[in-house]
Amino acid sequence: MAVSRRVFVKTGGLALFSLGMDPLFLGRAAYSLPLPRSAATAQPVLVCLFMRGAVDGLNVIVPHGDPLYYSERPRIAVPKADLVDLDGHFGLHPRLAALKPLWDNKSLAAVHAIGSPESTRSHFDAQDYMESGTPGVKATNDGWVNRWCQHDVDHASTPFRAVAFGPQLPRTLAGTAPTLAIDDLQAFGLRIPQARVRDRLTRAFESLYEGAQTGLLATSGHESFEAIRMLQQADPLQYQPANDARYPRGVLGRSLLQIAQLIKANVGMRIAFLDATGWDTHINQGSSEGQLAGLLDELGAALVAFNTDLGERMRDVVLLTMSEFGRAVQENGNSGTDHGHGTAMLVLGGPVNGGRVLGRWPTLDLAARFEGRDLAVTTDFRDLFGEILARHLGATDLSAVFPGHPLTSANFLGAIRG
Amino acid sequence: MPPSRLALLGLFLAAATSGPLAGQALTPQDSARHALNRLAYGPRPGEVGRVAAMGVMHWIDQQLDPTRLPDKVLAVREREFRILSTDDAELAQMVREQRQERIRRQQERDSGMMMMGPGSQGDPTGERLRIAAQLQQLAVVRAVLSERQLQEVMSDFWLNHFNVYWAKGADRFYMASYVEQVIRPRALGKFEDLLVATAQSPAMLFYLDNWESVAPGAVPLAVARGFAPDSMRRRLPTGPNENYARELLELHTLGVDGGYTQQDVIQVARVLTGWSIARPAQGGHFQFNEWAHDYGAKTVRGIYFPAGHGMDEGLRLLHLLAMDPATMRHVSHQLCARFVTDDPPDGCVDDAVKAWRATNGDMREVVRAIFRSPDFWAARTFRAKVKTPLEFVVSAVRAVGGDPDSTLRLAQVVTLLGQPLYLEPSPAGYPESQDEWVNSGALLHRMNAAVALAAGRLPGVSVALDGLVPRSADADSLIDAVDARLLGGGLLTAHTRDVLHQQLRDITNPTAARTLTVGLALGGPEFQRQ
Repeated sequence: MAVSRRVFVKTGGLALFSLGMDPLFLGRAAYSLPLPRSAATAQPVLVCLFMRGAVDGLNVIVPHGDPLYYSERPRIAVPKADLVDLDGHFGLHPRLAALKPLWDNKSLAAVHAIGSPESTRSHFDAQDYMESGTPGVKATNDGWVNRWCQHDVDHASTPFRAVAFGPQLPRTLAGTAPTLAIDDLQAFGLRIPQARVRDRLTRAFESLYEGAQTGLLATSGHESFEAIRMLQQADPLQYQPANDARYPRGVLGRSLLQIAQLIKANVGMRIAFLDATGWDTHINQGSSEGQLAGLLDELGAALVAFNTDLGERMRDVVLLTMSEFGRAVQENGNSGTDHGHGTAMLVLGGPVNGGRVLGRWPTLDLAARFEGRDLAVTTDFRDLFGEILARHLGATDLSAVFPGHPLTSANFLGAIRG
Repeated sequence: MPPSRLALLGLFLAAATSGPLAGQALTPQDSARHALNRLAYGPRPGEVGRVAAMGVMHWIDQQLDPTRLPDKVLAVREREFRILSTDDAELAQMVREQRQERIRRQQERDSGMMMMGPGSQGDPTGERLRIAAQLQQLAVVRAVLSERQLQEVMSDFWLNHFNVYWAKGADRFYMASYVEQVIRPRALGKFEDLLVATAQSPAMLFYLDNWESVAPGAVPLAVARGFAPDSMRRRLPTGPNENYARELLELHTLGVDGGYTQQDVIQVARVLTGWSIARPAQGGHFQFNEWAHDYGAKTVRGIYFPAGHGMDEGLRLLHLLAMDPATMRHVSHQLCARFVTDDPPDGCVDDAVKAWRATNGDMREVVRAIFRSPDFWAARTFRAKVKTPLEFVVSAVRAVGGDPDSTLRLAQVVTLLGQPLYLEPSPAGYPESQDEWVNSGALLHRMNAAVALAAGRLPGVSVALDGLVPRSADADSLIDAVDARLLGGGLLTAHTRDVLHQQLRDITNPTAARTLTVGLALGGPEFQRQ
C-alpha cells in the first residue's frame, strides 16, 4: 500500500533537545520554553470515547416515563426511585449521578435513539461502519477522523493532530493522513538513560525509517520522531491534574488524564480517541447495581475528573461518547440484553447545548421498534459527528468526511451552540 | 510432487519481477528465509543456510509432519511449567482462592476515587495473572524453542480464529486446557474436529455464553449456578442466548458475508441450547443438558431440522457448517492472509479451497496447498507482511539465538508491544493486517525492545552474542556479521548499511558498536517485515 508522505509545516523553533539527566524525556524542564504558535489562541479539541461492545443506552439515559421500559425489563430496569431525573421523562442511571451538575450547568447533553442506518447486529461490522463513517460499505480503507485530517486546512499540521490512546491504531484514525497512537505518554520515545546515546540512536533510527522505502512503516516511523521532537519542546512538567481532579484507576482514567495533559501541552492536538470496553452485557447486566452499573461508575468518575482537570479549557473541548449499537428493549433469558439498534450518546463540553436529551424519541411502542425488538434509530450518527466537526472544529467539506451522506445544517440536532 | 508442478515452482523461484526483490534472481536462501518467516517465527542463526541446503520444499514437508520431528529442548523446558500438569478443577480452586484474597484486599483499600470497576482493564493483581502469565510465557517459549514451528504458528492461528478471552470469569481456569487439549492437538487436523471440539469446550461455551442458553421456560433438574460475576443476582436463565450462535456463523465458519440472517442466528441458538458445562465453578467438563434443549423443529438457512432431536442435531449443524463452501472460502481466506499477504490474491485462496474439498477439510493439506501455490512464492509476497508484536519479539529472540527463561517477563514484552496473549476481548481475535499494528507508539516500543535485546538487557531472555557477532569497532566486519549471522544474509539495504556506517564512524568502544549495530538492525524497518 503506497502512502505518500506529508511534508509537515514545522512551527518555528523546533530543534532537538538534549534530554538532561532525567530518564524520561518528559522530565523537568522550563515551562517558559517558546511554545508553538497554536498556543496563543486556544484551539478546539474533540475527544471521542468509543464504548465498545454496544452500550445499553436505555439503561444509561433511562426513559422512565415510558411504562413499557418497566414491563419489558422486569429484572434489569432501573427503578424510578433510583434514577437521577433529567427532564421528567428521562433519567440518568444512578451511577452517573456525578454528571448531574454538568447537566444542570448545560455542558452535558444526551442524544438518544442514535445509531447507524445499517441493520447489522455484528459488533465487528457495526464498529467498522461507525469507525469508517460509511455504514454499509466494507470497502472503505480509512476512518472518518483520518478523512477529516486529510481535508482540514484550518489547523496546523502537526503529528499530534489526531491521537489515539492505546496500543493499536483504531480504524477511525487509519488512513493516508498521519495520525498517532500512544499508549503511554510518559514513555513515548526511546528509553535510554544516557541522553547523548538516546539522541544519537533516535536520529539513527529516524534515518533508517526514512530510507528509500515508502509505505506504512516509513510514514509511521517518521511520525514517531516528529512527535518525540514536539513533545520535547512542549515539555510539560510531571503532570498533576488541576483543581484536585481525581481520575479513577484503570485504563479509562489514565487515558483521559493523558488526553488532558496533551491538550494543555498545546501540541496541536485537535482530535483525541480512546476506547472503553466491556459494554457487551449479554448476561446478568444488573440494574442500579451490577455489571453495567460498575462500568458507569468508572465512566462517570473519569468524565468528571476530565472536566474538572481541564477547568476553563473545557470552553473549547467537546467530549463525545459513541457505541456501535444499543441493546434490545426486552431483557433476555439471562438477565441481560441482546444486541439492539438505537443507543444513547453523551456530548460534554463548553460548546455543547447541554441540559437536554436531543434527537427524536421514537417511543418503545412495539410498532415503533426496529424489527419489532429494538429501539429505533431516528438520528444517523453521521449527523451528530458532522455537526461537531462543522460547528466545533470548523470543517467545511463534510461530504469528504462522510461520502454518500449529504449533510447540511438542516441535519444538525443543535448539539453544539452555533 | 508432480514434476510439472515442480518445474512451475522452479520458474517462480528463479526470477522475481516485482516487490523488494524485483529484478533479482531468487536464490535458495531467499526462498528459505521466506519459508522461515511465514511457516516459522523467523530463522535462527545459520538456519537459512541449513534449510536452503536441505531444500526448502523438503523442510516444509517436514514441518507439515510435526510428530516426526524430535523436540527435545522444548520438552525439557516444558517441565518447568506447572500449568501443564494442573487440571481444570485444580485451577478453578486456585482462582477461587485468589479471588477471595483479592476481595479481602480491596475491602481494605481506600475506596474514595480509587475504584476498579468490573469492566476496567486496570492491571489485575499479580496473583490473578500468574496462571495466565504461565500460559503466555509458555506460548512464547514454545514459539522460540520448538522445532515444530509450523505447529506453533498454526496453533496461534486457531487460537485467534477461535478466540477466547482469558479474563472472563471461568475462562480464567478453562484457558489452559483449551489451549492444550482442544486447539493444539488439532492444529493440523480436520477443521470439523476443531469446530466440534471448540463448540464443546467449556472455554468457548463460557466465553460466548452458550452454557447458559436454554429453551424458553426450561427448568434445571438441579441448580447448577456456575460462575456469576455479580454474586448478588442469582437468577436462572430463561431463554436462548444468541451470542455463540452469531459468532459461530460470523467468525468461526461462514463469515459475515457467508449468507445467513438474524433468523438463522436465532435458529442456530435454539439448536445449541443445552450445550453446557457441568459445575463450571468447579472446572467441570462439557455436559449436554436435556432439560435445557429446545426439541422443537427448526429451519436453518433453508435446511430443515425435524423436531425431537437432541445433541445430535447440533453435531449435524456443525457438520453442515464445516462443509459449507462459504466456510471453506472464509477460513481459506484467513489462512492465506496469515501466510501470503494481508489481502491475499484469489489464486492461493482457490488452491486452498480446492484442497479443502478434496480432503474434507484436512488442514494439513489445505496449508500444504497454500505453500505450493505460486502466489506464496511470488516475489511480491516476500517481505510483504509486517510482523505482529508476538512475531517480532519471537523472531528477534530467535535471530540472536536467545534463550527465554520461564518467568513471565518476555511475555510481558509482547504485551507491552500491544498483544497481550489470550487477552483479546473481541471474538474476532487479534488482527492480522499491518494497518492494525503499525503506528508510531508501537514502533517506538519495538525499537526500544530491539536495543535492549542487543544490549543483553531485554527482560526474560538471555543472549550470548559473542559467538555470533564478536564485539568490534570495525564497522564493515560488524555489519557483515550482523547481516550474515543474525539476519540470514542479504537483508540489509544499501541505505541501511550507509546509516550504520555513519553511526559507527566515531564509536571506538567495541561493545557499544555492536549494541548499536544489532539494535538498529533488529529495530529498523527491514526486520519488522516478514
